[in-house]
Amino acid sequence: MEIAILLSVGISNGCLYGLVGLGLVLVYNAQGIPNFAHGELFMAGAFAAYTGNVLLGLPYGWSLLFAVVVAGAIGIIVELIAIRPISMHRSLGRASNQVAIVLATVGLMIVLKGLARIPWGDSVRNLPPAFMTETISIGGLYLSTQRLLIVAVTLVLVVAISLFFARTALGKTMRATSLNITGAKLIGINTGHVYSATWGLAAVCGGIAGMLAAPLIFVHPDMGTRMLLKGFAAACLGGFGSVSGVLVGGILMGIAEIFFGRYFATSMIDIFAPIIIIIVLLFRPQGLFGSRQALRV
Amino acid sequence: MHFLRNNVFLLIFAALLVLSFFADAYTQYLINLMLTYIVIAQGLNLILGFAGMFAFAHGAFMGIGAYTSALLVTKLNVPFLIAMPTAGIAAALVGCAIGIPAIRVSGLYLAMVTVGFSEILQWVLKHWKSLTGGPDGVIVPAPVFFGIEFRSDFHTFAIILVVTILMTLLAQGIIRSRLGRAFVAIRDSEIAAQCNGVNVARTKVFAFTISAFYAGIGGSLFSLTQHYINPENFNLYQTILQFCMVIVGGAASLVGLFIGAAILTWLPELLRNAQALQEIGYGLLLIVFVIFLPRGLAGFLIDKGILPREQYSPARFGWFSARRRAPEKATRS
Repeated sequence: MEIAILLSVGISNGCLYGLVGLGLVLVYNAQGIPNFAHGELFMAGAFAAYTGNVLLGLPYGWSLLFAVVVAGAIGIIVELIAIRPISMHRSLGRASNQVAIVLATVGLMIVLKGLARIPWGDSVRNLPPAFMTETISIGGLYLSTQRLLIVAVTLVLVVAISLFFARTALGKTMRATSLNITGAKLIGINTGHVYSATWGLAAVCGGIAGMLAAPLIFVHPDMGTRMLLKGFAAACLGGFGSVSGVLVGGILMGIAEIFFGRYFATSMIDIFAPIIIIIVLLFRPQGLFGSRQALRV
Repeated sequence: MHFLRNNVFLLIFAALLVLSFFADAYTQYLINLMLTYIVIAQGLNLILGFAGMFAFAHGAFMGIGAYTSALLVTKLNVPFLIAMPTAGIAAALVGCAIGIPAIRVSGLYLAMVTVGFSEILQWVLKHWKSLTGGPDGVIVPAPVFFGIEFRSDFHTFAIILVVTILMTLLAQGIIRSRLGRAFVAIRDSEIAAQCNGVNVARTKVFAFTISAFYAGIGGSLFSLTQHYINPENFNLYQTILQFCMVIVGGAASLVGLFIGAAILTWLPELLRNAQALQEIGYGLLLIVFVIFLPRGLAGFLIDKGILPREQYSPARFGWFSARRRAPEKATRS
């Protein structure tokens, strides 16, 4: 019984980590960088949903839609302002671009945090859950409706994104750009638009995770950093490669974390993610499912 | 004249010494803090600017130094003059221990591993209450030399100035040595460095160790200026602040550090009561400099001919694109 409850919590947490990790993987595949500002996109989603629902008094569904739009818009704006000038800088080579872009995302991380602190301050806020009935009983097991919603939304989103990359024209141009940027430019793909779309999509993933997580954790300008590390851990486990890999990585991470915390040491839950990151990157940098890549000179 | 042009920092130290005779306590405190950050930023500059490695754990190394020296002084009554080098060595040992596995990880993944390490250290400092006092922190007593208590900020300044000068000279020595050239070679091209007989793995571990040593000494000085330390002093912000110093001043430049440390010590003090504005300020500085002035203020001043060209400072396109470095003449005379 207890194991079943822990499992349900672990899986739903893991889905959140997977969603956050998914956004990281999208940007990583496009530009080859870890996006340090991703935790703040998560925070932006949570704050947008809170603003829509509590401050503006929108119905819950509309406030979630509002959060998705705001998060996506922030992702695109951020890419246009801070990332585009570097990635389109002709005099820099690709490797040096990446270092500069990482530094820019680090800067964005604290700028966005500061911007959230001005209107909303440092106080801790609470977004009500999506459904009035907080738990339902399935076969004698009480499950939180919010957590079921998280799992359902994550699964739908992962399938949708997989289909997006496999079927749609934009998804295909994104894959082409990540495979070979020069080739993509030669056949007439506007790589700038592709990067904007990638950042927008990544921000939507982060924002959805944020607004789903907001009723379970508190809404606060600093909420993103911890989630960023957990998302990174999920992405590392999944190997930074595939959409489904990162989801599996996230769920594994969520389950392992909750059991570790329950049966070993509760306070160590906070550093579970960094430990996973270090172990995976040191001993199996290709992730659990990936294969080792050859070094190109 | 040539000597002075090539050792501008000596002039800066002399100016600070003169200034401190007229400064009030608050200005003196800021000068102390700035010198402390110069020591720390020199360590970060060695690993980030010269060796080109993306180590994000400098706040943590600084924390190890600060806590080692503070705990040695408060719990074991060790004199500060012994506690400070011990703090540097402790940080260097941890840096070496982190560096040996971390160099397996290439490029930008290193940033993640080191961020993970600094989160873990943060957690240890908060939870090992019997040793570190947890979130309450440690109160650092004034050091005593030969029976005299060094209580005022001016007294602290004397210690910090001497240490900063020694550490600056050491950094210059390292950069001009074989090891410093090996750092630059690895930054410019790891494979080319390997082909030319540089032991890449060993050099990288050296970079980690030396920069952690600087951070440890700096952390010890930091505990001296603040008189009180807690884990929050050494979190990710601290690391980002130091990154800002190196990037704003100019990576791979010795003079740049002075500019960067000066700006980023004064700026937070101006915005002392507004954490939001501080964060926006740092972040925007970092973004603007990365986009428009990737070589920092020192690079800008060197291009304008105001400052002399430094050895190993990357040419035109900035430190990111070290491969496009133009050949340059050594300016030592």
